[in-house]
Amino acid sequence: MKYLLPLLLASPALALAEGPAVPNFVAETGGIAHQFTGEWEFMVGGGVAVFDCSGDALPEIFLSGGTSPSALYRNKSGAALSFAKAEDSGLEMDMVSGAYPLDIDADGITDLAVLRVGESRLMRGLGDCKFEDASATWGFEARDLWNSAFAATWEKGADWPTLAFGSYIDRTEDLFPWGTCTENLLYRGKKGQFGAPLPLKPAFCPLSMLFTDWNRSGTPALRVSNDREYYKGGQEQMWHVAPGEPPRLYTPDEGWARLRIWGMGIASNDLNGDGFPEYVLTSMADTKLQTLAEPGPETKPRYADVALAKGATAHRPYTGDELKPSTGWHAQFADVNNDGFADLFIAKGNVSEMPDFAMKDPNNLLLQRPDGTFEEAGDRAGVASTLTGRGAALADLNGDGWLDLVVVNRNGPTEVWRNGGTAEKVNWVALVPLMEGQPNRNAANAWVELRAGDRVQRQEVLIGGGHASGMLVPVHFGLGAADKAEARVIWPDGTEGAWTPAEVNKVTVLAK
Amino acid sequence: MPRGAGAATAISPEAVIATWYKLVLELVRHTATYSPPVASRTFGYLGVTTWEIVAQFDGLTSLAGQLNDLTPPPVTDRSLDQAAVLHGALSTAVGKLFENTGPTGQRALKAMVEKLGAKVAGGLDPVLAKASLNQGAAIAGHILDWAATDGGAVVENMGFPETYALTDGPAHWVPTSPIRMQQLPLLPGWGKNRPFAMKGDRPCGLPPPPDYSEDATSAFHAEAMEVYTTVKGLTDEQKAIARFWSDDPMLSPTPPGHWISIFLQIADRDKLPAPRLADGLARLGVAVADGFIACWRVKFEYDLLRPVTYIRRLIDPKWDPLLITPPFPEYPSGHSTQSAAAAAVLTAMLGPDFAFEDATLAADGLPARSFTSFDAAAREAALSRLYGGIHYRAAIERGLEQGACVGAFAAGLKTL
Repeated sequence: MKYLLPLLLASPALALAEGPAVPNFVAETGGIAHQFTGEWEFMVGGGVAVFDCSGDALPEIFLSGGTSPSALYRNKSGAALSFAKAEDSGLEMDMVSGAYPLDIDADGITDLAVLRVGESRLMRGLGDCKFEDASATWGFEARDLWNSAFAATWEKGADWPTLAFGSYIDRTEDLFPWGTCTENLLYRGKKGQFGAPLPLKPAFCPLSMLFTDWNRSGTPALRVSNDREYYKGGQEQMWHVAPGEPPRLYTPDEGWARLRIWGMGIASNDLNGDGFPEYVLTSMADTKLQTLAEPGPETKPRYADVALAKGATAHRPYTGDELKPSTGWHAQFADVNNDGFADLFIAKGNVSEMPDFAMKDPNNLLLQRPDGTFEEAGDRAGVASTLTGRGAALADLNGDGWLDLVVVNRNGPTEVWRNGGTAEKVNWVALVPLMEGQPNRNAANAWVELRAGDRVQRQEVLIGGGHASGMLVPVHFGLGAADKAEARVIWPDGTEGAWTPAEVNKVTVLAK
Repeated sequence: MPRGAGAATAISPEAVIATWYKLVLELVRHTATYSPPVASRTFGYLGVTTWEIVAQFDGLTSLAGQLNDLTPPPVTDRSLDQAAVLHGALSTAVGKLFENTGPTGQRALKAMVEKLGAKVAGGLDPVLAKASLNQGAAIAGHILDWAATDGGAVVENMGFPETYALTDGPAHWVPTSPIRMQQLPLLPGWGKNRPFAMKGDRPCGLPPPPDYSEDATSAFHAEAMEVYTTVKGLTDEQKAIARFWSDDPMLSPTPPGHWISIFLQIADRDKLPAPRLADGLARLGVAVADGFIACWRVKFEYDLLRPVTYIRRLIDPKWDPLLITPPFPEYPSGHSTQSAAAAAVLTAMLGPDFAFEDATLAADGLPARSFTSFDAAAREAALSRLYGGIHYRAAIERGLEQGACVGAFAAGLKTL
């Protein structure tokens, strides 16, 4: 063996084995003491929303509580994370399963779509982290459903957002709940009012939705990830949502291929740099990483699953002594080590004492290598919690340029980690696309691009996806060792902004 | 029909059986370990449990001594209530066989025990009701003790082994799925399980499939080309047939559940009395369970590669089958074997020209299909695997032959 060692040290294989730099996540609740609680009706959900409502550029954290009250935590962080529970924000309510921040009325104050087991609510931001229920004011016809998914966009020419709400099972059915998926609804509006919702029929028990411009046509479609545990005759779905037209499913004739999984969470990122987003779909015992089979101007929505080839199946615990399959929930692409390559976080946790699946199921932190494959680093990074993860958010909570992590656990404490960074000298850029004075103020479905050298990274601005969890925060890019870059926005109307120098290690507003 | 003295149960034994089986078909679909072989085993034990109770109440013949290693179950006092004994037995047996189902299945099980239990107990003397439920539980316990020794009781990692050495050589099975855990084949040891009714050494074996060859003039290549051209030119009717019998685990009651469903529909339509209903469920359960044991033994004996592997390697690298290729060796076709076994027992029971309609998948949006006989249905189920692009013709035809052999054992059991 001693004779082999020098050879191994000199080999390219070993250089590869070094892999991406692993960030050091430090468990640091910062005063957050919260649980998402509940039994059967809260076996899914458990979302978190991250957004700034205090105006100090540090994002607050809103946590769903299930049978416990939901809670807003004001961000008081310095270098260390620190939060103070807001006692009278207006967001304290029961039966909350998730939440997504968005500025519905474009007044510059972030609002919140709150998913509930019961009637969901649209909470209008009043400033200084106060909120009021504006559901009735905005004509939002909430229905008594097990709400489980949400996404929003601004359709072309619309002065009011289009919201999609997905719901799960008929919770009154105890003997035969299978095949009882309740309705999914599309709310369109104008002049400050939502109209009567349009049904997104058929409904197949979604646990995640995402408006996304999958083919770069300029018109986002609605991807819906459905839980096969409960539908009959169902599959994954994608809807045409064209302005002024009823929603219409993509069909096999258009290239849509049937896929039936325990769909739980969605995230997207242009991983391969071809200009089209890849999608990750979390599930049980498997994860799908989809890339367009034939990308191009006339591409069809036919995807190849490259999770196995890329090392992103995340199918079983990678640490600890459990070998049973995993259960994946929230998924999010984010560059946690600022090396310029989007990484993938997946929150893990058993549904509810399912003995065929791991009970101690560590979260995944899959670091992307330059060749596009992934390497598991959750344990080395310190985020391999084996609590029952559900929703999550990766966001810069203390403004230091490293993305921190919040994970909501079912019937367990919410966990927060401060990202202590890596030993590498790396840079980052955070960009805020802004269309001040326009209905889609935060530029949902714009594409933000960052160019450093000959490499372009891009992210679509999304409201939806993950698992019951959303963020409205600057678009973050790692730069690696590069110390300069250019940024631009391709706005939702297709207008291409000019490439402009991006300020490194700062948050920059890109206004239209 | 004999009933407990003074019984005034509001629900019939037939309804208790049918209601429990309706739930079982859902649990099969929604329990992660329930691949088709595992489902077939459960249908075997539930059928035997049901039969042993009905047989005792009606003075019919026990399967003890006929099925391998089954000893006589506890004797039932016929003054007990039959519906309550059945409810007690199925509560116990289903609870145990699906103890690993998820939270919604557990919730449904609990609701079934309570709600159906309330109907069963309604009007019964509480002491009689309790004694009946306990007797059912005792019989179920006896069957479950027997089940525990068959080699198939423990299914881990959804049936996929932690280690398994793939057979070298181009003729042999290789993974066909991008799903990580399916890189090793499902339940490679299932063929070693104790059969229910089959006797002898390696019963219902099969000759080898056509010799593997990459020669374009070979019989093997011709079989692959048949799969390729068939899938390329599928008619709407062929697609409908493929999907109707697809019976994917987690998305359907699986192939054995499909045949259980067929029989339950007939039993409901024809108002079969409890002895006929229980007889059919027992024979059918035994037939499909033995079918998967025999089939799996042969699958891993020959370990043949799937059409998708051969076709992409030698004919068309971009070819896709219509159906999801199952993650285990190809020869013979499991659906063919177990469908022919099921058809054999149903034909023996109900006749060779028994017409029926099958609406098993109506809730999934697949319209009912009509058949002139059980054999016709089995042949269509078998051929659906060619249309689906997941089996060569030899696996289908030999599978049907194997199923006929397996079914003869179940059909030969003495019951009524």
